[in-house]
Amino acid sequence: MTGANNTLLYTQVVRVTHVYLGPAADRFIARQVENHLQKPPEDMSKKDLLSLIDWIKVAVSLLTDDSEIVEEYALQLHKLAVPTKPKSKAKAKAKQP
Amino acid sequence: MTVKKNTSDITGRVIQRYVILAALYTLLIFLLPANTTAMREHMLTPLQYKVLLFAIGLPSLMAWLAAFIGYARLHQYADSIADTSEGPSFKQLAKGSTWLAWSLPIPIILSLLFNAYANGHSDFRPTAIITSNYLNLLFPLTALTIIGFASRALTASAQLSFSVARARSIIAAFVVAGLAYCYFTFQRFDLSSFGSTDNPYYLPLWLMVITVIIPYLYVWFIGLLSAYEIALFSKNVKGVLYRQALRLLVFGLIAVVVSSIALQYINTVSPRVGYLVLDYKLLLILLFRILTGLGFVLIAVGANRLKKIEEV
Repeated sequence: MTGANNTLLYTQVVRVTHVYLGPAADRFIARQVENHLQKPPEDMSKKDLLSLIDWIKVAVSLLTDDSEIVEEYALQLHKLAVPTKPKSKAKAKAKQP
Repeated sequence: MTVKKNTSDITGRVIQRYVILAALYTLLIFLLPANTTAMREHMLTPLQYKVLLFAIGLPSLMAWLAAFIGYARLHQYADSIADTSEGPSFKQLAKGSTWLAWSLPIPIILSLLFNAYANGHSDFRPTAIITSNYLNLLFPLTALTIIGFASRALTASAQLSFSVARARSIIAAFVVAGLAYCYFTFQRFDLSSFGSTDNPYYLPLWLMVITVIIPYLYVWFIGLLSAYEIALFSKNVKGVLYRQALRLLVFGLIAVVVSSIALQYINTVSPRVGYLVLDYKLLLILLFRILTGLGFVLIAVGANRLKKIEEV
C-alpha cells in the first residue's frame, strides 16, 4: 500500500513539474530524488517531499532568474505535501447512490 | 564526468576544424592570384583586391564560427537526451545543422580554388561555375532533407497537425517565391533553344530544370515546411522553462533555414560570375550570412539552456 502511495506521489510531483519543464520533467525529478535523497524515485515518500522541494528550488533557480516561477512551482509542490484528510464515513455514505 | 569530457571534446574538435578552415580560406585569399577583370573594374592593385576580399569575408568567418559552435552545442544536447523519445529527432536536427554549418565554408573555399584556376585557364570557367552551383545545392539539399525528417518526427511525436489555413499560406508563399524564381532564371536563357549552353549557368535549359531548379524548389518547400513544423512543436510543447529554451533554438533554426533559402535564391537568380562584384547582391549575401550566424548563435544558446535542464 505504501509503495503504491509513493508511486502515486512521484507521479503527482512529475505532473506538477511537467507544467514547468515539459518533456524533461520525469528525468529532472528522477535525478533530484536519486542524487539528493539517494533512493529510487518510486520510493519517494511524503516525508521526503519537503527536502526535495528545497533541492528543486535550488535547481530551478539555476535555470531561470524569474523568482515568481520558482516560488509558484514550489507552492504547487507544497500542496502535495499537505496530508490529505480521510473522508468521513457519513460523507462517503451520502455520496453513495 | 564522462559526459562533461565528451562535451568539451566535441566543442574542441569543432573549433579545431573551424580554425583549419578559416586559416585555409585566409591563406587562399592571399596566396591565389587576384582576378584581373575585377581589379580592372574596381581599379585596385592585387594587394588591395585581396585585402578587400578578406574584409568582405570577415562576416562569413564569424558566421562559420557561430555555425560550428551552434551545431556542436546541438549535438551535445541531443546526446544528453539520446535515450528519450524526442532524442532521435534532436539528433537528426543536429545532423541537419551540421550539414548547414558545413554548407557555409566548403562551397566558398572550393569556389575560390576553382575560380583561381579559371583565371589562368579560361576554358575551365564553365566547369568552375557549374561545380560551384552544384556544391551550393548539394549541402542544403542534404541538410534540409534531414531537418525535414526531424521536424516531421517531432510534430508526429507530439501528435500535432497543422491547420488547412496554415498549409494554404505555406503553399501560397512557396508558389509565389517559386514562380518568381523560375521567371528570373528563365530570363537568362535563350528559350528558343533548349540545348544551348550560352547562358550564365553554362547548362542547357532542360538540364538546369531537372538538376537545379526542381531540386531547389524541393529544398525550399521542405525548408519552409520544417521551419513551420518546428515552430508548431515549440508553440505546443508543455513546460514554461523548457519552452523558453526551446524557443531560442527554434528561432535560431528558422533564421538559419530562411537565410539558407534566401542565399540559394539570390545566388541562382543572379548567377555567379566567378570574381568579386561590388553590388546590391553582395550586400544581400552579407546580410543573410550575418543572419545565418545570428541564427546559429541562438541555436547554441537554446541548446545550452536545454542541456542545463538535463544536468541540474
